[in-house]
Amino acid sequence: MKRISIITLLLFVTLVSGKAQIINKTHLSPRQTGYTIEARLNTESKTVNGDMKAFWVNLSTDTVSDIRLHMYMNAFKNRLSTLNQESPGYLSFKNSEKGSIEIKTFTDKLGNDLSRVMKYISPDDGNPNDQTVLKVILPRPAKPGDTVFINIGFETRLPAVIRRTGYSGDFYFVAQWFPKFGVYESKGMRYASEGAWNCHQFHANSEFYSNHSLYKVRITVPKNYVVGSGGLEMSEKESEKDPGEKTIDYRAEDIVDFAWTAWPGYSVFTDKWKNVNIRLLLPYERREQAERQFKAVKNALEYFDINVGSYPWPYLTIVDPPSIGDGAGGMEYTTLFTSSSLYMVPAFLHLPELVTIHEFGHAYFMGIMASNEFEEPWLDEGVNSFWEERIMDHYYGENSSLIDNPFLKIADKSLGRLNYVHSEGRQNVSNKEYSWNYPHGTYSMMSYNKTSTWLHTLMGIIGEETTNEIFREYYKRWAFKHPSGQDFVNVVNDVVARTKGSKFGPDMNWFFEQTLYGTGLCDYKVANIYNNKIESDGIGNKETQPKEKASASEEYRSVAELERAGEVMLPVDVLIHFNNGEEVTESWNGKSRFKDFEYRGARKIEWVKIDPEFKIRMDINYINNSMTVHPDQVPLRRLANKLITFMQFFISFISL
Amino acid sequence: MKLLSSLKSGFIRSARAWRGIMIMWLSSLMLVSLVAIPLKHALKTDLGNSMITEKLAHGINIEVFADLGSSFRNLGSYFISGFMLIILIGFIINVFLTGGLFSNLRKSSLSFSIQEYLQASAKYFLPFLIVSVFISIIILFLFILICLIPLSIAVQAAASVEGALLKTAIVSGSVYLLLVAILLQVADYSRAWLVSSARPQSLKALGFGFKYTFRTFPSSYSLVLIILLVQFLFGWLVLHIIPGIKPTGEIGIIMLFVLSQSLFVIKIYLKTWRFGSMTNMMELNPLESSRSESR
Repeated sequence: MKRISIITLLLFVTLVSGKAQIINKTHLSPRQTGYTIEARLNTESKTVNGDMKAFWVNLSTDTVSDIRLHMYMNAFKNRLSTLNQESPGYLSFKNSEKGSIEIKTFTDKLGNDLSRVMKYISPDDGNPNDQTVLKVILPRPAKPGDTVFINIGFETRLPAVIRRTGYSGDFYFVAQWFPKFGVYESKGMRYASEGAWNCHQFHANSEFYSNHSLYKVRITVPKNYVVGSGGLEMSEKESEKDPGEKTIDYRAEDIVDFAWTAWPGYSVFTDKWKNVNIRLLLPYERREQAERQFKAVKNALEYFDINVGSYPWPYLTIVDPPSIGDGAGGMEYTTLFTSSSLYMVPAFLHLPELVTIHEFGHAYFMGIMASNEFEEPWLDEGVNSFWEERIMDHYYGENSSLIDNPFLKIADKSLGRLNYVHSEGRQNVSNKEYSWNYPHGTYSMMSYNKTSTWLHTLMGIIGEETTNEIFREYYKRWAFKHPSGQDFVNVVNDVVARTKGSKFGPDMNWFFEQTLYGTGLCDYKVANIYNNKIESDGIGNKETQPKEKASASEEYRSVAELERAGEVMLPVDVLIHFNNGEEVTESWNGKSRFKDFEYRGARKIEWVKIDPEFKIRMDINYINNSMTVHPDQVPLRRLANKLITFMQFFISFISL
Repeated sequence: MKLLSSLKSGFIRSARAWRGIMIMWLSSLMLVSLVAIPLKHALKTDLGNSMITEKLAHGINIEVFADLGSSFRNLGSYFISGFMLIILIGFIINVFLTGGLFSNLRKSSLSFSIQEYLQASAKYFLPFLIVSVFISIIILFLFILICLIPLSIAVQAAASVEGALLKTAIVSGSVYLLLVAILLQVADYSRAWLVSSARPQSLKALGFGFKYTFRTFPSSYSLVLIILLVQFLFGWLVLHIIPGIKPTGEIGIIMLFVLSQSLFVIKIYLKTWRFGSMTNMMELNPLESSRSESR
């Protein structure tokens, strides 16, 4: 009996640990966790029935007495879940539209029933009605190096599409659908002062945090369904149990999550970039957008490859959900992501491209560098938004990357900046807070927009190439690990010191304290320009408006008065233009509240620009960044001219 | 034949009425300037001596306007309220001047007197206003019935049918435009009849308008469609010309002004062409009752 158990155990270990390499030649990550799941989609009951064999390896030096599992789907189980409490009204009233995950059987490798020693906990808010984190006391604590094996039979009831998971009619997007290990953070990892599980509840404003894992997933669906997943398809065959069904085997290595979709209406397109096979699933009616989607993702692949690091998987699946499932659009699962589009989106509107590039970018910031989105969402969403804006600008035009129409051109990064600098909650909270603690609807602005804006500002200060070098180094050091915000700051400090010496001080902490962790505003302004004629007694007569070119014999005392109106202190360039055509670029460390640049000579200041190249994108007001003694009225006249014409045509049009 | 001769006659009549067209243009320019020029000055004040206007060199820049902060909201609210007001005033002025224009289109001579023009405008103002308001209300009602209601339903269905909203918009919009073309005939016939009638009565005119429309439907509907098509193509051309012009100097601004206003004069001319053609069509198809009413 014992011998049989040992043989079974060996087979089991081989099966779930997947030592054989299939997708990549070597392991990309430590593979602390792994999952083998057999799942069957029941389209009648809108459920997924699964049998899961999973393992977790204790890579710490601690003896760990329990394991923690995310049970995300229970966030949609009742109206008392933390997710719904944080966002009242989020969840549907209808029972048929609620979601849940129920454990049917739960054993360890020896067949011990673990369902008796499991209980739901709420480590974040103590909510007794939240069932999104499951704690299981191990029959025998896991010693350093031990592997914990678990077998779970579960049934996931899919909700009507919510938070990018669920069903809508015959469309299914199956995400956050299986019991999933939290991350055990050993001492010294990220901010851990001692070893502990990092397994947060599912919040209204938060995403996820997981180990890089090995996935072997077998999915059974009705035959007419087209399936896409984050795994590489290994085989497809008719179901042994039901000839009306088919079973597909997938394998995924070193990804942090496994999601899949099934819908009979998908059209499938394929393309290739270098060694990456790209598979696109979209509604037939949007087939003309396939090229746009492929072009966008290839642009992103190329840009990341050059400036950050290589995309390490040989496959990628893009899903553009149909209208009925648009709630599943715009989400990332590393080797599968969902874009978001509409029927006949005009070519000038680069919205599908933007979503595709953004969601693909998560393969790096979250997928490869698996940061903790619960605690530091900026490290994923914000950093990724910064790259999305750069890619959009690079490939779709600096001033027209989002909308490129003769009437209106809007750059992606402009919207990003405006969402931060004109947000009413821009000073409410710093990025030190956990994602669910961002108050008054500031989660999106703080996680996405503020971060991308200060990253553009950082790039403006240290330069584009140094910025790229930072991210190459970040990739090199932290790929397939779990970096923290401080780890990113450390990389910046090291790379800036290496490439720029002490130009910006011993480190760049002064920048991050003000921008990432600070709540102050940045606003530099030109307060005034003076050109005073110097009389023979040396006293200048005040003259603010030079009416004619100064003659060589006239001496002027010219002053540009600058002010720092905000709290944030950043170094800025100041460009000063004189009436004889000369230009001087001054550097101001931006620390003092006032700064005067004074010149004497036979020339007068015509105009002054602080940050002439708009590098400091955190500046909340560009209008006061410059001043001239000869304002250019042409753009305003042109605007008025066109406005008049528009109004004339409109009134004539509506009059019979 | 009637169609071609009406188009030709309408074209010639409109050319003869060029002074009326110029009056319409001038009144329109003055009206919209009442909103546009103060708006421009307010924007100029808000931007001060900033060089941010350089960012407007390539057209509208949302960062510039957003950085205006609360001033932008004030400007926006001023523009919206001002625009609504001039739409209302513009509609009334158009009704007023159209009376003079229709009267002028009936004349065969080249003589033009502002006094006569304005007298005719005043004389037909009330009946023209009633006709215009009546037809406008029907057009609005049709818009709600044919466009808004189906689109509202399509919004609900958009989640289940791919492209439902766009497909509905295209079908509804096409049907709506075809029906509006019929109502334009009614309006034009009614007004043409009013200026030819000894006793201009608006409700009676509307009755004649509908009667003429359906009596001469094939030819007059084709005529209106041809002219609307020309107007549409012209509008399309304007939309492609004006946004692309971005002068950087004062002379360029003047040239843009001349060009845009010239295009607007052509726009009025094309509309007058429709009035003239419909007037001619009515004259070629006299009704018994209208003959007895005619001067």
